[in-house]
This record gives sequence, C-alpha cells and structure tokens, in this order.
Amino acid sequence: MRKRSLVIATLAASVALTLSACAPSAPPEASSSAAAAGNDTLTIATTTDVVNYNPLIGNSRSDYWITNLMYPHLMSIDDTGKKTPELATEWGYVDDTTGYYVIRDDMKWSDGEPVTAEDVAWTMNAVKKDAPSGTFYGQLANFDSATAVSDTRVEVKLSKPDSSIIEEIGFWGNVVPKHVFEKAASVAEFPNDGSDGGWVGAGPFTLTKVQVGQSYELDRVEDYPLVDGGTPIPAKVVYRVFPDVNTEILALQSGEVDAIANALPPAQVDQLKNSPGITVEEVTGLGYAHMTYNMQNPDLAKLEVRQALAHAVDYDAIRTVVLQDQAVSTGSSPLMPVLSDYYDDSLTEYEFDTDKARELMEKAGYTADANGNFPVSFRLIYSLQDSVTSQWAQLVKDSAAEAGITIELQGTERNTYLAQTNKGDFDIYAGNFAIMDDPVTNFTLAYLPGGAINYTYVDDPQLNDLIAQGAVTSDQDEKIDIMRQAAKIVHDNVYDNIMYTQNLFFAHSDKWDGFITQPSELLSIVNPESLASAHKVQ
Amino acid sequence: MTSLEFDPAATAGMSTPSEPVATESGRAGLATWRVFRREPLGIASLVILALLIVVAIAAPLLAPYPASYGSDVLKPPSLQYVFGTDSLGRDVLGEVIWGTQQSLLVAIAASVIAIAFGTLVAVLGAYFKKLDGFISVIVDLTLSLPVLPLMILVAALVGPSTATIIAVVAAFSWPEVTRLVRSQALTIVNLPYVDAARLMTTSPLWIISRHIVPAVTPVIVVSVVVTASRAVLSAAGLAFLGLGDPTTWSWGRILYEAQQSGAMSSAWWLTLFPSIAILLLVLSATLLSIAYNDARNPRNRAR
Repeated sequence: MRKRSLVIATLAASVALTLSACAPSAPPEASSSAAAAGNDTLTIATTTDVVNYNPLIGNSRSDYWITNLMYPHLMSIDDTGKKTPELATEWGYVDDTTGYYVIRDDMKWSDGEPVTAEDVAWTMNAVKKDAPSGTFYGQLANFDSATAVSDTRVEVKLSKPDSSIIEEIGFWGNVVPKHVFEKAASVAEFPNDGSDGGWVGAGPFTLTKVQVGQSYELDRVEDYPLVDGGTPIPAKVVYRVFPDVNTEILALQSGEVDAIANALPPAQVDQLKNSPGITVEEVTGLGYAHMTYNMQNPDLAKLEVRQALAHAVDYDAIRTVVLQDQAVSTGSSPLMPVLSDYYDDSLTEYEFDTDKARELMEKAGYTADANGNFPVSFRLIYSLQDSVTSQWAQLVKDSAAEAGITIELQGTERNTYLAQTNKGDFDIYAGNFAIMDDPVTNFTLAYLPGGAINYTYVDDPQLNDLIAQGAVTSDQDEKIDIMRQAAKIVHDNVYDNIMYTQNLFFAHSDKWDGFITQPSELLSIVNPESLASAHKVQ
Repeated sequence: MTSLEFDPAATAGMSTPSEPVATESGRAGLATWRVFRREPLGIASLVILALLIVVAIAAPLLAPYPASYGSDVLKPPSLQYVFGTDSLGRDVLGEVIWGTQQSLLVAIAASVIAIAFGTLVAVLGAYFKKLDGFISVIVDLTLSLPVLPLMILVAALVGPSTATIIAVVAAFSWPEVTRLVRSQALTIVNLPYVDAARLMTTSPLWIISRHIVPAVTPVIVVSVVVTASRAVLSAAGLAFLGLGDPTTWSWGRILYEAQQSGAMSSAWWLTLFPSIAILLLVLSATLLSIAYNDARNPRNRAR
C-alpha cells in the first residue's frame, strides 16, 4: 500500500496468531437473527481528530474510518487479500488495455440521487486530473480515462497493460457524488467539510454533527442495500476522541464507549481478553513490518553486510516478547503467508546466528578490533509514535552488537521520520505497512528504481524484468510463478528484510455483537458493513 | 508550578538591607549551617538528595542495566522484581535506578547552564543601568512565552537526545534565575561598599566578580535547587511526550513507554515508582531551598 500516512499509521498496533488466518469473519447471517434497525447509539473511541473530510486525499486513521462510512469503495477485501464485491458486483478486463466494472443499481446518495457509473467514472477521471495526494492517485499510474458506458458499467482505458490495476483502484479508491464534488474547481482542494449544507454520502451512516476535539456523530441512512434487512441497525454511530489508548481502554471498561477503533497494544490483549464485559476480536494482518538497508551506503551495498545484519536479528524474540506471539513469520519474504496463493514456503527466515554474521562481515573484508567490533556503524530510523517498532528497534541494536556491528538508534517524531524516509536519510529503515494486498503493485513500488517505497534503493535488472513481466501477465498461475521468482531474488539478496505480519486485536463491549471483521486496522471491526450490522445483545 | 512556588526573591528583597554580605561569608556560612541542622525537613531533604546522588553514581553496583527484553511481561511487584516488570519484561527497579543518572544529569547540567547565564545577565543588567531596561524586557518577554509548547517544538525539530533536553530546559529556565538574581543585585549595587569599590577601580569586571556576585550567591544557591527541580519536571514532561532521549533510561521515559504500550490502565507499578522518584527529587529540592533560605536569614536565628 502506498499512502504512507495510512499505513504507517497502523503502527501503534497489536497482533494475533497464525490461527487468526482461519478465524472466521462473523458470517453475515449471524446478525440477521438479532434485532432489526433499532434506536441504539454505537460509541467508538479514536485517538485523533478528522483532519480531512475529503476521502480522495491522503489521510489519517480517523479520516479513513469516518469517510469510509460515507463514500463506498468498489471492492472490499477478505482475509486472504482477495477482493470482494462492495459497490461493484463484477469486474475484469475487456482486453489488455481496457478494464471494466459493473456496479449495483440499488445504491443511493443520502440526498436521494442514485449512485451511477457516471459518479464512478467522474471520480476516477477527477482524481487522475487533479492528482490529490493519496493512495487513490498513487494507483492511477497506468490509468488513462474512465467512461460510463451505461448506468451500471464503467470502462477504464489503460495507458499500458496492467493486470492489477482494476482491483487496486477498486479497493483503494472511494466513489464520491459527482453532483457535490464537481462544484469544486479541483477535487484535490475540495475540503468537503459540510459547510455547504452538510455531507452527502452513500454509506450506511452520514456525518451530521462535528465537535472538533470531542466527537463526530453519524446518523443512519435508512436505505443501505449492503446490510441484511436493508437498514443499518444502530441509529447513530458516534466517534469520540480520546488522548491515547490508555484512556480509550478505561473508557471502554467504564462503559463510556462501546468499542475502540485503534488496535490494542500487544501487551494489553491478554489482559483485556480476561476483563469482564469486554470482547476482543482478532483481525488478520495483511501487511508486514520490515527493515530495509540503504544500498546507497557503500557498506550496505555489499551483499555480505546485508546478510550479516539479517542474521544478527533475533526474530523469534521480537515476535515472542514485543508482539506477544501475535505475529507470523513471513519466511523473510515479501509474499506473506496470508497471501496464500502467492506464499512460497521454500523461502525460510534468516536464521539468528551472530557467529555466521561475523563470518559474513569477515568475508566482506572487515576485521574486528580487539573488542570484537567491526569498524562500521549504521543509523537505524524509526517513528517514536510506533510503539511496537520502537520496542524491537532496541532488540535489533542489542543483537547486532553481539555480532560486533554497531547500530545507532534514531527514533524521531513521525513527521521527521517521514521526511527522513523520503530523503533516504538513513542507513537502516524500520517501519511497517498496513495492507500489502497485491504483490505486483507492492513490488513495483518497493523494488523498482524510483518506486515510492523503494527504501533499499535497489535497482536489480533481473528483478526489474520479473516485476515488469508480472505486471502484464494476466494468467494467474504464471503471475504467481513470476512473483515467486522475484520474491526469491529479494530474499536471497536481502533487498528487504520482512520480519513478520502482525495480526491485530480490537476490543468492544460485550453488550454489542454482530461485528464483521476485515483485515487491517483501517477496516477491522469499524468497516461499514460491520458497523451497519452491529447490534446490542438482547 | 511557578506561581505556587516559594519565591526567594520576595523574601530576599524585603530583608536585603540587613543581609550579611560576602566579607563575613565564613562565619555566616557556619551560622547558617547551625540553624539549618536544626531543621528536620531540611536535613531530611538533604539526606534524600544525597541518597539520589549515591544511587545515580552507584547505579552499576545496584542493578544491572535493563536488558533489552525479558520473559516475564507486566509482572506486578514481587520479591523477584521489587518494582515489577514492564511490557517488554524489563525490571522497573533497574530502569528507575538507571533513570536517576539521566534525571540528575539533566537537572544539574540544565541548572548550571541556566544559572550561569541567568546570573551573568542579571548582574550585568543591575550594574549597567543602560542595559537593564533591555534585559528586563527580554526576561519579561521570555517569561511570558508558553514554555511547554516551545520546548516541545524545539525538541521535535532538533530531535530527541540528552543534549537537546538539557539545552531546551536551560534555554527556558534562565529568565527565572535572572529575575531572582537581578532583584537582589539591584539593591547590592546601590550599597555604600559598592560605591566605595568604584573609587578603588574602574574595572566593572572586578567589582561584579568580587563584590556583587558573592553578595547574590545565597539567592543563586536557592535558585540552583529550584531550577534543578524544575529541570527534572520539564525533562520528565518532555520524555513523557516522547521527546526525551529514546535510548537512555530516564524516569520520564519509563512513564512514556508505559503510556505507549497502553499499560497505564492496568500496570500501576509502571507509573507509581518513577513518579515517586520524581516527587522525591522535586519535593526534597524545594524543601531544601526553603530550609536553607530560612536558615541563612539572620532574623530566624534564635541564638
């Protein structure tokens, strides 16, 4: 996923087990047995205000959670990264450079206008034209134009063949009402702050009342076809702003709020599972945490040095202690086990072995001094707002020291960290991504020269070729095979050191039930379908 | 805490004319000590401060440096872990002991810088009347700034490290010192013996260093302690906001990590023990300065 703000956002987070992959999403039927639309208010805790009400612009977690309830996506995602229908019912390719979406005909904007293919096409074209900073625009590299060929069918022209783009746009892009947004000169500058007679959405809830720093109230939309019964069950959803996760937990325990939107810190999961009155839901992780070694540094440009560093990390300790066994090894491969089609179990995790790391350093031509230290020092950057990474960065430093490699930790405030990341001002980068759903797209961004998240500054012709092939291959088996070869190159050359996929845990009051989990902190239990189906326990 | 705090300037200002000055410092010092040692609160504070300094210096003997992780996560205080363990299974006792070093270092370094600079500015202003107006405006201006947001801004821009913390705290503490010292120095400058000194030399440096600075030393001593305790609070505050040095243990960092790991609501021991340490240091420093100030005031000396 490319919009770092969304992504790195997930930091604070917590996790789950391998098992979680099979943890069933509550089947939609579960909610139908319960009450139909009632008068209840569902109160949810968050830690940040909404900065941006325009869903097309890159945004924070609160922005995403709240705008996601108003502006539908064409597709949603399941626990294995597969796209599932939301506004779109069907999608695919007409030919190499033409894709299509067929959308539902029963969705309405909250002002009564129907949601049409014209809205979808207009949104895509406007984003391509005005280039709002965000994930959506980031997906449109090979997008040329979209046309509504009927009320329910959109056709997309591509500037070159791209076998991933239709699903990626469908998942990452929101659809906004043309008749509201077209009044703005540019969608990149449209604040959509409700100052012009309130908000117009097509989700289960529409924002009605905002008290900055306090709360965001959303009222139910009576007609929402994506929920059983056609009407969302809670009458209101209220997001309340809290200073941090500690106060959120206290508010949940005291019954002030019914759910916490932020993922729980790993160390709190067991404790809350055992707390009376609280239910903890497990959500599959679809992203990963990793370290990259900046190959512009002459030392790190040497394969042996990168290998030595990779062998000097105690991955098990990190997953056991910092993540409380709520994370899964990816076998040091960017193809995570959760992407079950792509996962290649022949790639195994770099073994923690400081002697081997020393041998590799010697092989690279370094000689240890009398204290056993090699004459190198690497600066590792991470965000202090990311408590999990902050914790394991220390472990990385300590285990590297055992191998005689000095790592200097530089944890900074998030904006400084993002600036350093963009400038390549680091030797080792530590961070994570919330959703890495499509291998071709992710490899393009992470490993091609000039890629937005190519923090290794890798430019390997063989890898570049494979990624380019993957992008134009439409045959699924062939594509999987190509991406596996690419992942092996990344793994063997330590172009990226993927450490784990973290499963997340979310807490809600046991007075509420019927939540439907979706992967990642962005969707979790606060996705539109889930909140529309949530109901009080009778 | 400024407004509630004991203000040596007020006390000192009122009683200045009869203050003993540098010439009798030996006897005055002894007399002060005689009175001071009869103050139980003062002695207790001194003992606590001395203990904290011993803990800081002897940290390597008292506890091993906190390991990067342990297997017992978030265990409440027990015989094995007297202060409990944090969310990475590290011993909180060790963190508090090693945190003493950093906290005292920041306190001492920041207050030394603030005192040196603040005193210099104050005596210059008091002695050279032309500068005084300008200096007073700067001091008033700096005192009226919202200090915490500015500290946060600077620390965030420069990047967190022990040196940053010291510089930031010092940069915003000197005006307090200047205000205290200046009010004392202003009365000293007008005393006859300073006029007499002016007849003996034309060097302001000599008069300032030999006659004015020694005369304001008691105020400086008091403000060292007050500034140091404020430095500890500021440093802990910044560290709690994540702007401390993330690689060195400090009391503020323990609180910050407890908050970050979301353990505050359940693991009381994570916040209690570093808070007690901060309280002990700040309270004893404040009480010590009050006791010292009372003791050196001749009016309080019952002979």
